[in-house]
Amino acid sequence: MRDFKYFFILLFALQSFVAFAQQSEKKKRGTYALVAYVGGGVGYYLTLAGVPAYLNPQVSKWSSLTSLRVMWQPDHLVRVGVETGKMQFLSYRFKDSVGNDGRIIVNAVPLLVEWSMAVSKRFQVFAGSGVYFLTTKMDYAGKSRSNKLSIGWMAAISYLHPLGKDLNLGTELKWMDAAETTDGSLGFQLQLVYRFLKW
Amino acid sequence: MRIYFLLIMIISMGSCKRDFDAPVPDTSWELFDAAPAGILPHGVMKKMEGVYTITKGTETFGPLAVLKWSYTKKGNDTIYNVSFFSETDIAYFICEAKKHDDYILVNGYWRKLSGTETGRVRLTISAASGADHLFSSNPNTAANDVIISGVYGSGENVPDIPLEFAYARPHYQAMPFEIIAHRGGGRNADLLPASENSVEMILLAASLGATGVEIDVRMTKDEVPILYHDESLNERLVQKNGMLGPIKNFTYQQLNATIKLKRGGKIPTLQEGLQTILYNTPLRYVWIDVKYDGPLDKVRALQEQFMQAAAAMGKPLEITIGIPDEDVYNNFLQLPGYQNIPSLVELEPEKATAANARIWAPMFTKGLQNDEVAAIQAQGRRAFVWTVDGANNVRKFMYEGKFNGILSNQPSIVAYYYYARL
Repeated sequence: MRDFKYFFILLFALQSFVAFAQQSEKKKRGTYALVAYVGGGVGYYLTLAGVPAYLNPQVSKWSSLTSLRVMWQPDHLVRVGVETGKMQFLSYRFKDSVGNDGRIIVNAVPLLVEWSMAVSKRFQVFAGSGVYFLTTKMDYAGKSRSNKLSIGWMAAISYLHPLGKDLNLGTELKWMDAAETTDGSLGFQLQLVYRFLKW
Repeated sequence: MRIYFLLIMIISMGSCKRDFDAPVPDTSWELFDAAPAGILPHGVMKKMEGVYTITKGTETFGPLAVLKWSYTKKGNDTIYNVSFFSETDIAYFICEAKKHDDYILVNGYWRKLSGTETGRVRLTISAASGADHLFSSNPNTAANDVIISGVYGSGENVPDIPLEFAYARPHYQAMPFEIIAHRGGGRNADLLPASENSVEMILLAASLGATGVEIDVRMTKDEVPILYHDESLNERLVQKNGMLGPIKNFTYQQLNATIKLKRGGKIPTLQEGLQTILYNTPLRYVWIDVKYDGPLDKVRALQEQFMQAAAAMGKPLEITIGIPDEDVYNNFLQLPGYQNIPSLVELEPEKATAANARIWAPMFTKGLQNDEVAAIQAQGRRAFVWTVDGANNVRKFMYEGKFNGILSNQPSIVAYYYYARL
């Protein structure tokens, strides 16, 4: 069943891409470009942590967030691209019933197909779906590490300030959501946006 | 275009799902909880068992109900339960019964397993309505004239709708039959008041009509057999706590300290599960469904230990190692003396024969298979079918099939059709 889910996501992305490309051929073509967004900032875990109260947890919801996004920017309103990065959803320390310490960290690496559109000269919105590679690291009575693949999505809005012809400095507010595990973070990033290829 | 794009994003972000639940209503009843009310002797409960005509309340529960008693032991306390099972919407009642002066009080709740309907129920058997006969020291006194009457309600409402049961006939018992509750008693999806594969669910199973349970076994990182169905930790089975991925990646201590099951309780070890079945319930059969690919020696050791303990207590208890696929089958064949180990094979009947399994257990989708069942029974083995749900399916397999047992998520409807058959 899981295989089907990823198959349909891929199929949807391909179908959209082909439809978009076909539409593009009918008009006189403008400049195409590939734009890289390199960002770093902070994330705040906003969904219900679900950490059991009986563990007396000390939950840390703030974490660092980095991302790398490459968008294909055609002469159309809508752009398409991919995003990855590294983020921590949450971590918490706890004590068991006899006072032994423990710690759990949940990290994620998203791999998302994204769509974007400029809503004004400097504001852009982004939305995408894909998968999150989640990792639980547990340090309690020994160390354990476990991985899970979760379907997920993101949405963001960014503001770009031009630094040069092909270089922008941006700020972005984004929501990253691993839907299957109901983990979601609100992130704020600074971005360097560079149009690195034009044709 | 821009507006549509933003609209889609807003709709996506605002999407939500509806949560269903069927919480057990508060069953406090001043009269029942009052100090003079005493525990009902075992013999009285046994005499109460039978098939009852529903004379009031038929609009909700149909024309007939089966009354069955069971018990659970918690510490030094034994709680005696009186359960009613009816066909309509797979309704059941779970009640406690107490003696109060010369009459019997029955207090509890009802639930329809086909939905989330539930409510309280308060019943009485007066001296004139048969309590005298039930209290009689003569063990042969029947419950022929017993009338159980009272009220039921919906949800947390004070019960005020008339309900009455009149004794009709004794249980059918001619052909022994196993009523096996799936995942220790029921699935999380059925919104029972305990988590699937938990100790609490096992304690509930007999009051749902089960004579046995199927439990799912997996191994932890440090090779402790535990009761858990899925390969991974997920929010269907456990409360969210940041632990993700295959359960075999964590040690038992790590799971035990941090995991809380979806509907309460902790992940039990197989040992805890078997201990509960043996010492705290009247259950007589266990189907250990092996869900991992690996050596079975630890499962076998526990099976042997608890079957010996049961024999020493004089309690009938059969524990079979369930073999659902080829991997587990091959692992089973590696056990020394496997042909003498009680087992249940879900594969072809020939494999059940080759492993000398006590039970062959095909999936219900393969149909009644009366010829195959008869052939396996001719070898001195039994045949159970899984997992049969819904009144129509259960009735078909019970009355048209030749199986010796049914595994179901709804043991109460299996119990109804078994005990009510003529």
